Amino acid sequence: MVYRRCMALLKDEAEAADLMQNVFLRVFERAQSLDLSQPSSLLWNTATRLCLNRIRDKKRRGLDVDSSELLLNIACAEDEGYEAQGILAKIFSQEQESTRTIAVLHYVDGMTLEETAEMVGLSVSGVRKRLRTLQARVKNLEVK
Amino acid sequence: MIPDWKLEKYLTGDLPAEEMREIRDMEATDEIFAGRVKMLREDNAAILKKLPFEKLSEKMATMPGRSNGGTGNTVRVNFKLVKLAAAAALVLAVVSVALFSQREMVQGGTVLASSAEGTQVMDVAMVSNVENSAGDTRIKGLGARIEVWKKTADSAVQMSNLDEAREGDEIQLRYSVPEKCFGMLFSLDGNGTVTIHMADDNRAIELAPGKMTTLPFAYKLDNAPKFEKFFLLTSRNTFSIDTGNLDALLKNKDIHAESVNLRKVEGK
Repeated sequence: MVYRRCMALLKDEAEAADLMQNVFLRVFERAQSLDLSQPSSLLWNTATRLCLNRIRDKKRRGLDVDSSELLLNIACAEDEGYEAQGILAKIFSQEQESTRTIAVLHYVDGMTLEETAEMVGLSVSGVRKRLRTLQARVKNLEVK
Repeated sequence: MIPDWKLEKYLTGDLPAEEMREIRDMEATDEIFAGRVKMLREDNAAILKKLPFEKLSEKMATMPGRSNGGTGNTVRVNFKLVKLAAAAALVLAVVSVALFSQREMVQGGTVLASSAEGTQVMDVAMVSNVENSAGDTRIKGLGARIEVWKKTADSAVQMSNLDEAREGDEIQLRYSVPEKCFGMLFSLDGNGTVTIHMADDNRAIELAPGKMTTLPFAYKLDNAPKFEKFFLLTSRNTFSIDTGNLDALLKNKDIHAESVNLRKVEGK
C-alpha cells in the first residue's frame, strides 16, 4: 500500500522505494504522538505528506517533476494553517494532518468531505475550513 | 467503482465490518473486481520480495533511541522501550495485516483445533496450518510479539490491547521471537481459568526466531466474564507453568512476558 501510494504520486520506482522506507521510519520515530487506531490511514496520510514534500523540494530545486498541475499546485502551496499551530496546541492535541495532505485526499483521491474527515480525524466542517483556507492560495480548487 | 484508497484499506482489513462485507461480496461476484484485487495481492507479494522488511527493521534498530547507553534514568529508559515497542508493533501490525489478510483469502483451510482441559475449543475455517508466507521475513532487533486475531465472516481482524471481545468470538493467536528461545502461549480469563495454547504439557517449547508463526488452531471464547488475557512468555532457559501460581512465573526476571488483554462484553 505505502509503496503503491508513493509510486502513484512520485511516478518513480527508486524514489517510491526510498519514500516507502521513510514513511515507516517516520511512523516508528513519532509513534508516541500519532493516532495509531487506524494504521492504514496513518500510513496513507504519512506517505502523502512525505511525497508532497519531495515534490515541493524537487520543484524548488528546479528539477523535473512528473506530476499533474493540480498535485504540483497543492504540493507547493503555503500551508500556513498547519504550520502556524501554537506550541500548546501541538502538545495537547495529536499531530494534525497538513492541509496539503487533506487537499490531496479530497481533490486527487476523490474522497468526499466525510471520507476525508474520517481519514484525517477531523470534523467535516474542520476539513472544509482547512480546504477553503488553502483554496485562497491555490488555483483550480473548489471545495465540493 | 471502489477507489484505490478504499481498496487498499480493504486489503489491510482496515474498513468497518459492514464495508468489508460489501466489498468481499463484490469480490466473490464481480470477476473484473476480483481480478483487480488479485492483481494488488500479487503486487504486494512482489513488493515485499523486492523490498524485504528485514532491511527496514535493520534501519530501525540503528535509529537513535534503540539503546539507552546505560546512562539514562530508569523512567526514561522504560519510556523509550514502550515507545519503541509501540512503534515496532504498529509497523509490524500493518505489514502483518497485509500478509495475513492476503493469506486468508487464498487459503482459508479448516484445521483441527486442539483442546486444553476445561476450555471450549472448536474447528474453524480460519487459517491454514501452513506457515505464513512471510515466514522468511526476519524481524531482527525487535522483541517477542504476540498477536490476537478475531475471525470476521471469511476474513480476520487483528485485536488491539483492551479491544472488546464476546462469547463465541473465534480467536487466532500468532507469535514471533527475535532469537532462539523457550516459550509458551496461554490465556487467563475472568473466571481465573488458565488455558495453555502452546506448550509441551506445562513446559515451554523451543521457538525458532524471526518467523511470525500462526498456531494451527483457533480458539472460541466461552462465557467467562470481564476479560481474556493472552500471554506469550519467553526465556533463554526452559521453564514450566504452574497454573495455580501464575504470579511467580510472571515475576520471574528470567522470563519475558508479552500480553494482549481483551475486554469481555455481552451481546453480539
